[in-house]
Amino acid sequence: MLKIIFKKLIFIPIASFFVSSLAFIVVNLTPGDPVEVIAGGIATEETKQAIRVELGLDKSVTERYINYLTELLDGNLGSSFYNKIPVLDSINKYLFDTFELIIMSLFIAVVLGFFIGGLGAYFRGKLPDKLTNIILSVIQSVPDFFLGLLLIYFLFYKFELVPAPIGRIGLSDIPPEEISGGLLIDSMLAGNWETFKIGLKHALLPSVTLGIFYSSYFGRTARNVLGKSLNSKQVEFAKSLGLSKFRMFIYALVDARTPILTYVAILFAGLFGACAIIETVFAWNGIGQWAITKILMLDIPAIQGFILFAGLITLFTYTFLDILITYLDPRIRKKTL
Amino acid sequence: MKKYINKINKNNLPVIVSTLILINFSFGAFLYNFTHDPYTTDIIQRLTPPGEGFIFGTDEVGFDIFSRTIVAGKIDLFISLSGTFAALIIGLPLGLMASDKTKNAERIMKVLDMFQAFPLLVLAIVIVTMWGNNIRNVIFAIILINVPRFTRLIRSEALTVRESRFIEVAIAMGASKTRIISKHLLPNILGTLLAQASITTAHSIVVVAALSFIGIGVVPPEASWGSMIRAGSQYMMTGQWWMSVFPGLAIFFSVLSFNTISQYILRKYEQI
Repeated sequence: MLKIIFKKLIFIPIASFFVSSLAFIVVNLTPGDPVEVIAGGIATEETKQAIRVELGLDKSVTERYINYLTELLDGNLGSSFYNKIPVLDSINKYLFDTFELIIMSLFIAVVLGFFIGGLGAYFRGKLPDKLTNIILSVIQSVPDFFLGLLLIYFLFYKFELVPAPIGRIGLSDIPPEEISGGLLIDSMLAGNWETFKIGLKHALLPSVTLGIFYSSYFGRTARNVLGKSLNSKQVEFAKSLGLSKFRMFIYALVDARTPILTYVAILFAGLFGACAIIETVFAWNGIGQWAITKILMLDIPAIQGFILFAGLITLFTYTFLDILITYLDPRIRKKTL
Repeated sequence: MKKYINKINKNNLPVIVSTLILINFSFGAFLYNFTHDPYTTDIIQRLTPPGEGFIFGTDEVGFDIFSRTIVAGKIDLFISLSGTFAALIIGLPLGLMASDKTKNAERIMKVLDMFQAFPLLVLAIVIVTMWGNNIRNVIFAIILINVPRFTRLIRSEALTVRESRFIEVAIAMGASKTRIISKHLLPNILGTLLAQASITTAHSIVVVAALSFIGIGVVPPEASWGSMIRAGSQYMMTGQWWMSVFPGLAIFFSVLSFNTISQYILRKYEQI
């Protein structure tokens, strides 16, 4: 087992190098001139030149690349072109807000997905199976931001069940002292349950939106895997031993843990970028929304920093997932040894 | 006509409906005789709720939502379809190459794996903003997102088919590589490929909508579903639902249609 872990971990430095290079390439090797866009159409040549020097764009690409890598080794991602705030500080500031949203959304998605998929698998081929299949198709076809807007209309405007989608807390509420940067975690650490409750209410709409949207992934996987293992030999054996239907269902669930874990990990890593639009809709002020604002402003160091950060998160999550799955699944463990 | 109607049954009805929905959005500009022009605003009739005069209502600047929802389909579907098609064309040779058991094949897969580590939606946004905000770059972003997916799929499908007996026999009989690929390999992966292309198009519609929802890609006065939803998004809080809901439903039905067609293709090919 240790050997496997070592094998996977040794891959990380090489992959990190590739990811950081790609982040550089995406932002720097563009066919157009970003300075044109930043400066606007009426800027003089002098202004443009000043911007170029400021951004280091007057140097050659190789020079910039070496510069970027050496800075990176010092843990320096550069600072924003507009307000000079270090990119790393910004990422730190917004990271946990998004983290909280992702955890809540994934929790809802897994529970809801398992409920829908489990229902379908339990009543295979019968009416509930067909109904849940239709429900999953519908969920799969709604864009997440549109679903969010629908929920705003019904839950906020029509039935007034949730507070206005204007951020993490109301305008008059006082945020807790920043420790991690995540509102819910911070208010919990400070023991400020009043703020925690307000934060939870504001978190309801975005996390339910993402939760419903991604539940279709878990629903389909749960339906397939559970359906398959309920038809398998070992479950048939359990049936012949006279075990209850519910017990067999629990056995089938154990079978489903690897694909479900894989999905959780993939979505967890992917959501740091994918929830950007939902964050914008609900003014969540997380890392995704920050990235989108920066991209639209063409804040090159910030864009580069975010892409690198997202790539690294994915890299580490996948490596961790690989190790976890080899640990859980003896078949894979045998193969890699 | 009667002959065709008799052919409709429980199995192909969803597909027929889906196709009709897609035709409706692709050629809507010719099919309808709009009472209101989709590109002229009526300042006096701002924020009219759906009803007489404007069936889907008007938006904050007085655009007619109905005609715009219909004509937006043309551009949105064109981008998604052409992006998907191009990605398929690029992914096919890459995937076939990667299904060889050589060092180069492994390299292709490694590079694609790296690529998957990036948040693809954000990457698409970066490409469109930095490379220039036009439709060509939106299509390019769609291609970039989907080439790795097609390559991966084609590779795994080709690997399975390559193991089978009839390929072995064809090789033993001295068939050329081109003949094996065109006569034996491609027909066997065509079903999965078409089904995937349909799903990818559905997914691309959402990406295009997401881009114009944050204000890049197809921008007003050109009509697109994403930008229409964006225009109405603030009004969802105050109850003027029609601005976002109708284009949203258009996306929903288009995506659902492509998904349905994909499922139908898969089932059809599995039967053979």
